[in-house]
Formats: sequence, structure tokens, C-alpha cells
Amino acid sequence: MSFQLLGTILLMTIVTYGSRVLPFLLFKGENVKGFARDFIELVPIALLAALVVPELVTPSGTIVIMKNPFLWAGILTFLFSRFVPNLFLGILFGMTVFWGLDKLLL
Amino acid sequence: MSKKESESNHNIEKGFLYGLSQSLTIAIGYAPVAITFGILATQFGLTFWEAGLMSFFVYAGASQFIAIEMIHQGATPLMIGVTTLIVNIRHFLMSLSVVPFFPERTLLWSLGLAQGLTDESFVLNTKVLKDVEGEENRRRVMLGINSGAFVTWVSLTILGGLIGKWLPVQFSGFQFALLALFIILTTMSLSRKNYVTYLIAAVLAVVLKLLIPGKIYLIISVILAAGIGAWWRGRKGSHRVGLNSQKSS
Repeated sequence: MSFQLLGTILLMTIVTYGSRVLPFLLFKGENVKGFARDFIELVPIALLAALVVPELVTPSGTIVIMKNPFLWAGILTFLFSRFVPNLFLGILFGMTVFWGLDKLLL
Repeated sequence: MSKKESESNHNIEKGFLYGLSQSLTIAIGYAPVAITFGILATQFGLTFWEAGLMSFFVYAGASQFIAIEMIHQGATPLMIGVTTLIVNIRHFLMSLSVVPFFPERTLLWSLGLAQGLTDESFVLNTKVLKDVEGEENRRRVMLGINSGAFVTWVSLTILGGLIGKWLPVQFSGFQFALLALFIILTTMSLSRKNYVTYLIAAVLAVVLKLLIPGKIYLIISVILAAGIGAWWRGRKGSHRVGLNSQKSS
């Protein structure tokens, strides 16, 4: 195992376990409210956008629309999973469509 | 009277094994996700035991998928660590609301019960622990629930890793598998209460990715978008006093 991966897993463990254990060590049980709570609740959806959209729109560093299998496979996967909310089927659909578009658009 | 008696008898029996049996519902939910993680991790260059090791230590599904995507994109361990922090800081909230079940906990129980806290185990524990009398019993029940879920997650990650090892690597569709997963998670969690934050984050991420080299655009756009979204909610909230804070994810 590379040093990079070991460091990655170690850091991930520290911050994740830290988030879980600190309230057990410090609190009797209060609740976070207001801005902090809203912020924490909104992080996952913001992260999904930041992870996905740039990869779809700029797969090779510049914005590509037409000859871009990532973008079209992404849009089709989004539509598919709105009607079929199933993780497994959705991934299978996305991979197949991407593979097909990748062949077609090249 | 007799009903109360039978109820209290029933409560005495609730312990580790009761929790373990309750964890079956989580295990069924985890199975496909853990196997998928194992397969994708090996497709993205990890070995099956490295994938298993990550599941064992990190034990947080979404952030593990994000990590292998970022490793694949060439992000540094520090970047992945910071991203994991902002993704998993939500466990702090869940932990906070579980803690009142265990006012007399010892240090060892604190360390142990915190380990198994995930989105899924949090929901199940909150539901189940309400009906368990006595802190000692509640600790054992939660330990049972957590253990079943944890063992499932780790062992099925390894199984998925072994499957992924034997799959043909040539299929170009695997390039898209993680993005597909994130897109499906998006459709599942997008709502009227968070879509503005989603759009802000999307635009910021694209613009910043084009402007700034490296992966730092991820963290900047997420923090800015979630900050603007939370500030906006706060403004709206102050106009409509009396509405309780609603849960959304």
C-alpha cells in the first residue's frame, strides 16, 4: 500500500471518528441550531454539485457540449433515476449509456 | 396491569442480540452499496484489502466513494481529508442527539458506541432505543445494531473487491460509474429546500475549476454555496418566526 493511500485513510479516519466521538466526550446532549445546522445540512448537496457538474461540463479542462459523452450520459442518468429510484439499476444504466455514447461520439 | 408486566419482561430481554437482529434491516440496505464500493474501488486501482481497510477504519459510505473518485483524479491526501471532514461533520449532529440516551456512559462505551454511528444506524438507533428501558440495556442494544451494520459493511466491501478484481477492466463504462452514483444520490436528495444551494455550487465549481489549478475548487465552492444557502435560509427564517427548523438532507 502506498504512503499516499495510507495517509488518506488515516486522515479520513481521524476527521470521521472525531465527528462521531466528540459529542460523546464533551456533551450531555444539546442541539446545534441556526446557521451552523443549516450549513452542515447543505454541505452534502453542495458537494454533489461540485463533484459532478464540473466533471460533466469540462471533462478535459474546457467546456464541451456536443461531443461530450459525460454530459449526455449524466443528463440521461439524472432523468432515468427520477423515474427508477434504484441505486444499482441507475449505475448500470449510466455505465451502459456512457459506454455507448463514448463509442458513438468518438 | 398484565400488559405493563409483559412489557417490562420484554424490555429485560432487550440486549446485544436484540440489537443485532434489528441491524438486519441496515445490512440489507448496505449490501448492494458495500459490494458496489468494493467493485469500484478495485476498478479505480485499489486492492480488495485496501478497500476493506478503508471500510474498516473510515466506515462512512458517501465519503469513501468520494475519496476513491478524488484519488482517481489525483487529489492529495490533505485535500481528501478536508473534503471528508466537511462531508462527515454531519455525524457530529447525529452523535449529539444520541448522547442523551447514555447519561452515565463510561469512556470505553463512549469510544465504542461512537465508532458505529452512521446515517443508517443513527436512524435505527433513535427509533429502537426509545423503547428500551435502562441505560445498560440501551448500550448493549446500540452495540448490537452497530456491530451488525459494521460487519456487513466491511465484509461485503471485501467481497465486492474480490468480484471487481475478476471483472474485465476494459469496459469504459466504469469511468462513469461513480458519477452515475453521485447523480442518483442527487436526484434522491434534491428538494425545494436545497436546489438553490445545488445550483450555486454547480456554477461556482465549474467557474473555479477553469480558473484555479488543482482540486481546491471543490472545497471553496462547497463552503461558499453551503454558506450562502444557510445564510439565505436564516434570512427567510427570521421573516417567518414560529416555523420550527425542519429536517432535510
